[in-house]
Amino acid sequence: MVFKTREESDGKVVVIECPVRVDLSVAKDLREIMKESTELDKFLLVVDMDKTEFMDSSGLGALVSRIAVTRSNSGDVRLACVKEPILKLLELTHLDKIFQSFESVQAAVDSFDV
Amino acid sequence: MESQASTKENHKKDLSKFYLLEPDYDRPIFEMPKNTQEKIMEKLEFLYGKEEAERSFQDVERIMKVHYAYKPPEMIEQERGFDPSERFSEKDVILITYGDLIRGDDQLPLEVLADFADRYLKGGINTLHILPFFPYSSDRGFAIIDFEEVDPRLGTWEDIEALKVHSRLMFDGVFNHISSKSRWFQEFLDANPEYQGFFITFSTKGAISEDHLKLIVRPRVSELLTPVSTLDGKQSVWTTFSPDQIDLNFKNPKVLLKMAEILLTYVRRGADIIRLDAVTYLWSELGTSCVHLEQTHLVIKLFRDIFDAVAPNVAIITETNVPHEENIQYFGDGYDEAQMVYNFALPPLVLQAFQNGSSAHLTKWASGLEQVSNEATYFNFLDSHDGIGVSPVKNILSKEEIEMMALHVLEHGGFISYKDNGDGTVSPYELNITWYSAINREDSDESEDLQIKRFIASRSIAMVMMGVPGIYLPSLFGSRNDADAVIEKGETRSINRKTYRKESLFARLDDTDGSAYKVSRGMGKIIRARIREKAFHPNAAQQVLHISEEVFAIVRTSVDKKERILAITNIVDKVQEFRIEAKEIGGQKEITCRDILSGKDFISSEGRLSLSLEPYEVLWLKCS
Repeated sequence: MVFKTREESDGKVVVIECPVRVDLSVAKDLREIMKESTELDKFLLVVDMDKTEFMDSSGLGALVSRIAVTRSNSGDVRLACVKEPILKLLELTHLDKIFQSFESVQAAVDSFDV
Repeated sequence: MESQASTKENHKKDLSKFYLLEPDYDRPIFEMPKNTQEKIMEKLEFLYGKEEAERSFQDVERIMKVHYAYKPPEMIEQERGFDPSERFSEKDVILITYGDLIRGDDQLPLEVLADFADRYLKGGINTLHILPFFPYSSDRGFAIIDFEEVDPRLGTWEDIEALKVHSRLMFDGVFNHISSKSRWFQEFLDANPEYQGFFITFSTKGAISEDHLKLIVRPRVSELLTPVSTLDGKQSVWTTFSPDQIDLNFKNPKVLLKMAEILLTYVRRGADIIRLDAVTYLWSELGTSCVHLEQTHLVIKLFRDIFDAVAPNVAIITETNVPHEENIQYFGDGYDEAQMVYNFALPPLVLQAFQNGSSAHLTKWASGLEQVSNEATYFNFLDSHDGIGVSPVKNILSKEEIEMMALHVLEHGGFISYKDNGDGTVSPYELNITWYSAINREDSDESEDLQIKRFIASRSIAMVMMGVPGIYLPSLFGSRNDADAVIEKGETRSINRKTYRKESLFARLDDTDGSAYKVSRGMGKIIRARIREKAFHPNAAQQVLHISEEVFAIVRTSVDKKERILAITNIVDKVQEFRIEAKEIGGQKEITCRDILSGKDFISSEGRLSLSLEPYEVLWLKCS
């Protein structure tokens, strides 16, 4: 698994650390992690993109794959450390209006206020 | 749809459908009826004042006389017996497509479309809406360079005429704006006096006050005014949609006359229905919202007057992606404006019902739908080249429900387009996703058969509602999202505008094990069942039943009241069992019903019909 996960805020927030490339070859894993988290009633997710330099449509699809279920359970998917090429991609697809983005993982975790 | 062998039979041309190539002025010239004269004059006076109206009237009359002279005697004879209440019937199903959605190796796209229609649409779909097929500079055809030419990359007018042999045709009248690369706009830039009033101009980009700007309702977030350099210096032009789409100025009667002339040219070239694109924004007036203005309605009504007099077979459909109650204003009084309006609330409500497993909103809204007149009806589409508009349901669904619907669309691999609220904020305008992907999750563990059942169940609702159903071509075979195209082209609408290679598409449609075949077979089944039933005539009465939130149920009764169909769709993945009183379906005591989709019979007992529906099952019960 190229994604690393850890829990913060006494296990209430799941931080998912993304690899350099989030594309078709790994998008399924990201979907799976998000699915498993929500099935365990963990709806506060932070996606750490500090290392990520490339993302394709599959990666984008994975990023939003649990956005409705988290929000309908008072949670959210929030992004941290998003780099310029990914920011552009989010703007192009209007997903910048969906995601809250933070400069650090800690800021994203703290934003949940739990 | 089932494959039918392509034939090269020599089709006999129905002369009542085709105009002459040249006007025949040796026959009696058209004489405008007095009441038509009055109706047209009244509108021109309101729009332009008495003096200008008198001048413009002469031109309108001339244009109508010219048009009439192109009619063959067979057409004039056929029009004498034309019954506007039978303009649309249960036999009408409209396919929406770009002219080049399917491409072949050695044929022009319009020839490929003809092959597709010949092979897969016969006996089912009778009307083709070919999205703008004119030369264009952007917006996939909606920034037209020349209104009167066929884009040579697609084909010729002869190719359009060939499509008319077997199908009714719907053309777009993209009259709100014109391409910045058009000759008209170039003439304006060149300071040709004839074209100076063709566009809405301001001396500077900041000429419109902030207060006025805030009032203007637009579906885009781009700048309203676009600066341009002309021979006479810098000016700014009104651009509702994009800098490449320059709004035409209908305050100039010359623009109106040009458009009336082009409309009639489309009729002579084969249009049976004209779709007035983005007509909401046609007339702009500072200090107003610039949408749905009275002048806009009058322009449409004037076009209707012209058609009623010299092209009564031709219908106007308005494309107004706005809240439902505003949308239906385009029917006028049911006899004087559009004969058909896009039923824009239907797609988001059907989608919301399937997403949530609850038909509550759909049922409530559908219960309030009324027949406007026996000459006007709804265009019941679920998808098109654009996305699923959410503005039409902003007074039907709560803000939270709309937001959740949009989030579900994201989860299904779609995107959201936003509109400028005029106050610095934006809100969702449409959901960009294919209908199949909107209804089904691609990463689901469900079986393909269940997903296809769910898809067909959702499509069946548009088939049974009062109106004429429309299908975007890719939905005939359950097209999935093309998210790569969104990134490649930088447009979220590209998700549903994929083009197909003829050979591979035909192979998929003929592969009985594949999903494209299964979807097309399911679609063909409900289409063919619909077009046989008088109870599905657009003017047949409609009664929505409140059975449970898990089903959508509707009773349609033919105009002559002799036939009745109860259409029930299970919108969830669980079996639904319930009983319906025979009297709710118009029965006296006991009734016998046959499901016209499966052939199964149902008989009531003690005045009640006991029904059990499998997940996503659709029953169309013809009862007696």
